Amino acid sequence: MDEELLELQRQLEFAQQAKSSIRLSDRNVVELVQKLQELQIIDFDLLHTVSGKEYITPERLRIEMVSEIKKLGRVSLIYLADTTGVDLYYVEKQSQVIVSDDPGLMLIYGEIISSFYWDTVAEEINERLQECSQIALAEIAAQLQVGSELVASVLESRLGTLVKGRLEGGQLYTPAYVARVNAMVRGAARAITVPTNLTALWNSLQQLLQETDGATGVAVDNSFFQSLFNGLIKEGEVFGSLRAGVHWTPTIFATAQKDTVDSFFSQNSFISYNALHKLGIIQPVQYLQSRYPEGIPLVTIFVHPSMIEMLDASVDDAIERNSWIDSLSVLPTLFGSQDASKILSLCPSVQLALKSHRAAILGESYVLSDGFIKDVFHHLEKEMQKFWIPGSSSSGLHDNNNLNKAGKIRNDSSTLSELNESGTEGGSSRSGSEKGSKKKKERSQGSARASANETDLDKQESLPTKSKKNQKKGKGALSIQVSRAKTTKEDSVGIPSEEWMLDNILSLVPEFEEQGINDPEIILKPLANHLRPMLLASWSERRKALFAENADRMKCVLDNLQKKLDESFLNMQLYEKALDLFVDDQSTSVALHRHLLRTTAASMVDMLLLNLDMHNKLKDGIEVEESQNPESVSLSPGDRINLAKDLPGSLSVKAVALAESLEGKRVETFITALGAVAEESGLLLKKLDKKLERTLLHSYRKELIWQVSTEADPVLLLPKVVSLLYLKIHNKALQAPGRATSAAVSRLKDKLDEPAYKILMDYHSATVTLLALMSAATNDDEDCTSDRILSKRELLESLMPALKGLVLGTSQSQDPN
Amino acid sequence: MEGWDTTTKSTLTQIPLLTTKAGPRDGVGWTQRLKEEYKALIAYTSMNKAKDNDWFRISAANPEGTRWTGKCWYVHNLLKYEFDLQFDIPVTYPATAPEIELPQLDGKTHKMYRGGKICLTVHFKPLWAKNCPRFGIAHALCLGLAPWLAAEIPILVDSGMIQHKDDVASSSDS
Repeated sequence: MDEELLELQRQLEFAQQAKSSIRLSDRNVVELVQKLQELQIIDFDLLHTVSGKEYITPERLRIEMVSEIKKLGRVSLIYLADTTGVDLYYVEKQSQVIVSDDPGLMLIYGEIISSFYWDTVAEEINERLQECSQIALAEIAAQLQVGSELVASVLESRLGTLVKGRLEGGQLYTPAYVARVNAMVRGAARAITVPTNLTALWNSLQQLLQETDGATGVAVDNSFFQSLFNGLIKEGEVFGSLRAGVHWTPTIFATAQKDTVDSFFSQNSFISYNALHKLGIIQPVQYLQSRYPEGIPLVTIFVHPSMIEMLDASVDDAIERNSWIDSLSVLPTLFGSQDASKILSLCPSVQLALKSHRAAILGESYVLSDGFIKDVFHHLEKEMQKFWIPGSSSSGLHDNNNLNKAGKIRNDSSTLSELNESGTEGGSSRSGSEKGSKKKKERSQGSARASANETDLDKQESLPTKSKKNQKKGKGALSIQVSRAKTTKEDSVGIPSEEWMLDNILSLVPEFEEQGINDPEIILKPLANHLRPMLLASWSERRKALFAENADRMKCVLDNLQKKLDESFLNMQLYEKALDLFVDDQSTSVALHRHLLRTTAASMVDMLLLNLDMHNKLKDGIEVEESQNPESVSLSPGDRINLAKDLPGSLSVKAVALAESLEGKRVETFITALGAVAEESGLLLKKLDKKLERTLLHSYRKELIWQVSTEADPVLLLPKVVSLLYLKIHNKALQAPGRATSAAVSRLKDKLDEPAYKILMDYHSATVTLLALMSAATNDDEDCTSDRILSKRELLESLMPALKGLVLGTSQSQDPN
Repeated sequence: MEGWDTTTKSTLTQIPLLTTKAGPRDGVGWTQRLKEEYKALIAYTSMNKAKDNDWFRISAANPEGTRWTGKCWYVHNLLKYEFDLQFDIPVTYPATAPEIELPQLDGKTHKMYRGGKICLTVHFKPLWAKNCPRFGIAHALCLGLAPWLAAEIPILVDSGMIQHKDDVASSSDS
């Protein structure tokens, strides 16, 4: 056996026998420590590390932490927890104790920072600041990884000592830089003379800074400018007032503004708001009222009371003189019509006059005294009477003319007015006034106005092509006027048209023309509208009076007419009866009919028409002077038709038929037409009865006998004798024209005895030859014809007694003489 | 070297490695080998004692040193369970590892061959082959028996397969 092996065997034996060292496990130790704590042997706090392998006392932990803080200056708690190996909770607890014990330390966002750390940081910042002249706090904060507020608060305490600079709006600046920017701001502020928005100014300054600094220039905050600016104001380096923080109004500007307003207002004693707007005063009324409490604000102008006094004086004067005044002519040109009306309402004299109805304000700026208006009114009234009194036919014509003329004026004026003012306003106001004053004409003018409005619209659309449109419109308006002329004639005789009034007022007061012709809206229209109701009232009153007056006369006229009509109609019927004798002789009958229509019927129709016309006029309230004797008038067929057409309504139709029947050949048609007219006009036609006929015939006969006995002219004697013979033989009244006489005479042949007939025939033939000779003579003095006429006449004269005897003798027992 | 816990591994590395490649039949070579085995065992034992981790006694049962016997123990729940330990040095040693036997535990656990030879992990054989001839008896104990005891004893105790000797004694007493 090897020695060495044995030795090793022993060694192993020994090693195995050796006492093994005793070791405690961690767990055992922990248990032991717990036991010790339980037994109060360890009577202080004991912390253990995160690994659980170590125990540490808080004091030791604190010392370790403090040493770490001292070493680094700025330590995060997490880092401390890591290095000490103690739970963060205990580290935090201890850190609070440490920080509260040491004023030079602060605990921020889980970091403990000592003041000497800040000092070094401040030094670093200062160095950089001196290099760059300005640094943003945010930049520093980002670099240090702390909040910018913290940086600001830390730096503020060190500004001026460690950090030589100025903190402004989150930026650090060196004094030199601040001074430079301050100089810029001061320069800019002093250069401004008008109100400016400061933000804009700062923006331009910023741009300037960036340009001068080049690419390295950093953006300067506007608030920096602002604070510098505020400092300048406080120091009195710049003067002005700041509104809402950004609106800067330099004192220089305010003074200039004030001076301008003052000087203008004191010189002119008025100032327009427009002018103030131009000067940059936004609320002129408030501004002026606060500056001049005695001033009066109008719509577009601010005036001094002296202006009112001046106006008041001139208005008062105008009212005293019973005249009128356009306040605009007295006031400065800047005054608008609204201002004028407002200032007028403030005038004491105007107020007084209005209260006592001594004046009226028309067209906003015109003051018309009552006397003046009355004057115009009387003139107009007179004009109107003059104008409307002549007979209806002529008045109709006049009316038409006038309307045409007025229409033309209206066209012109309306176009001009639309040129002058904005169309809609004028149009609406005009139509409004029309509505007010022309209710009666509404119907007739409806269409006209509509088309007028249309053309208004056209005009507004195309002002440049005005002239062309005008012509077109002229045509249109003409047709409208024609239609209107008709309607006015029918339903509103005597109501003056607006145009007519405008015309008349113009002619009465030519001064208006100078001012008002350009724009009738201003004064003429309002005046006309003012006068219209008065005129209408007076007109209707007059008409009423006339109507009452005419009622009597109408009755009288009707009575007269009835009487005359009766008489002539009876005669007519009488004569008509005689026509029955000639029914078989066609040509004679026609001649007789026509003769009767021409003579008796015609005069009767004339009388009837004239009287009806007069009656009609009276009914309309037109004054008719006592007309000339209607019987003496004989009308031509044309006149008759005209008259008949002038009659109202259905009567006119029938009267026209009557007038036409005169031209016919049948008495019967005339009689029926006459009947229709008489019925329409409320007249009676008396029928002929036997008794009446006899008395009539008797009187006719008597008259004929008296005529025959006194008749000296041999030619005229014959028809009368023939009529008398007919009366005697047929007991009928014959009205025969000369041409029908021969037929009438030959009819008598079998009724008369031979000699009497012979006398009649001879006389007739002699008369015929005489008349033939006389018609052939033709006034040239040829001896032979005149001689023969003379001899014939002598022959007839010699025959006359025989003829007279023929008719008279029958009544006087056949006396040969 | 996976398959073992870190303490085992660190311990293993501290056991001195052997150099002689000789089996029991190699005469002088074997003696030399045996010397190295003793040195390693001494180092391992002293190491265990230093760590308060002494867990076996071993000695050669014959002068040739081909059979070894001893005791091993494991502390579980503050009770020490002790077992007999024996093994032979195979003829092909060191190419073949010795088969460690715990005869007392024969038939009490699945992790054991007949005759009480412990089943080692699959990693043991390749590791041993790789480290032939540097591994010796000390390595075999460290890599084989120590983990086996740590793994199997708590299970055997909990399942009641083995009882503490005091309990056995008390039960036999009663």
